[in-house]
Amino acid sequence: MSLNNLIKNWTSFRSRRPYLDQYKNADYKWAMVIDLDACTGCNACTTACYAENNLPVVGKERYEKGHAMHWLRIERYWGEGESVPVDMVPDRGAQFLPMMCQQCEAAPCEVVCPVGATHHSADGLNTQVYNRCVGSRYCSANCPYKVRYFNWWQYADTAWPNPLELQLNPDVSVRSKGVMEKCTFCVQRLRESMDHAKTDGRLVRDGEVTTACAQACPTSAITFGNLANPQSQVAKKWKNQQIALEKDEQKKDENLRGYRIFEEFRTYPSVVYLERVRDLEA
Amino acid sequence: MNIKKIELFFFGILFSMLAQLGHAEAFHPGGAPGTQTIDGYNALGPKVEQPIEFPHYTHANVMKINCMYCHTYARRSAVSGIPRLDKCIGCHKMIPEVRDRPRIKKLFWYWDNHISIPWKKVHDLPDFVRFNHERHIQRFYFQDKRPVREVCGYCHGDVANMTTARRVKAISMGWCIDCHKKDHQISKVNLKTTNGPNDCWMCHK
Repeated sequence: MSLNNLIKNWTSFRSRRPYLDQYKNADYKWAMVIDLDACTGCNACTTACYAENNLPVVGKERYEKGHAMHWLRIERYWGEGESVPVDMVPDRGAQFLPMMCQQCEAAPCEVVCPVGATHHSADGLNTQVYNRCVGSRYCSANCPYKVRYFNWWQYADTAWPNPLELQLNPDVSVRSKGVMEKCTFCVQRLRESMDHAKTDGRLVRDGEVTTACAQACPTSAITFGNLANPQSQVAKKWKNQQIALEKDEQKKDENLRGYRIFEEFRTYPSVVYLERVRDLEA
Repeated sequence: MNIKKIELFFFGILFSMLAQLGHAEAFHPGGAPGTQTIDGYNALGPKVEQPIEFPHYTHANVMKINCMYCHTYARRSAVSGIPRLDKCIGCHKMIPEVRDRPRIKKLFWYWDNHISIPWKKVHDLPDFVRFNHERHIQRFYFQDKRPVREVCGYCHGDVANMTTARRVKAISMGWCIDCHKKDHQISKVNLKTTNGPNDCWMCHK
């Protein structure tokens, strides 16, 4: 993606849409399935994400200002007819939904970046190049999932006082103030296993690489893998739920649980959720 | 009113020019100014003072030791690795005739006092760059069967003719991209060519 390429292919860069069987002959297309029936809202994935990706804990005050830096958050919902007063949290009935960057195929954030700091990689990731980012926050404004986080402070100086800096992951940069950050599907793990696989002259096997959140999940609610490989767990689950990457309207069996969030916005996300089946009587 | 605007405009231009001058002094991708590498990049790294002036010349050129004998991890991980002290000692115990030389004395001083040698980094990439030795060594040394001194020399220069290693290539982004744009033949029998990955997230983290 040199500047020449970018100018030459400006139209396609600005109007990227997935097409049928786009990843059929590709080696990789990373995707995810999250089973909300299994999710207990324990936040282990969030914690794992903090540890893996050098995320700073911002503290209560900055959190209240909306400066939180969690790339993966657990959203809580209560069902219809169970509206909750603001100052009260009911003991039961909550539904949990882990929300991270959906790695959209037609990402609304990519088309508005003034400097091309976010673009689509060949293996289907929505990238964010921190060094290129100038902090316009246009991408965050355009993201329907609100999963892009702006780094407001120079956390590198304060968030890990000695000797806590030893816990930082050397494979991930410690971002500085003024850049947009987001979930990367743990790209450092993907790249490492892809490198080793290439040295061995093969593709990454299913289950060989996984994200930190999927690894930490106690109920194995998160499945991560290569959608381009039809034998992978993720591809099988997508197929079982009759969800196709390039379709924004899934015409399928009513009993199936799978759906993608905000499909109607035509963002073509790479994360499938399996909806919660609730027993209101119990 | 108009005159004031023009004045402001000129001041603006002057100021931005000055600012640019200041920046030109401060920003040199890869090294000190005024030094030209053979690739035409104006970026030669600083001379690094090592605790022991390790004679690469003797080991790699005279003794013909493969670079990867000491830098073991180059073929299987992202970093090439600096040899542990016991690796140096393992050989040098067997070579009593050089035992009295000042550098070897220093080496054994570290060994006897149980102190690891505080080597300094010569080719130091920024923290946000991911460079993988494994892929480069596997591709050019094991697959293409090119001589190891040539393969390592693409980035490190002719280390075999140096004493203390010195950065001679501009390890900058443009320099990396220059190489990645080249089409390399996949193997000696196969005419198909590939170039290096050209995606931001391949090198940046």
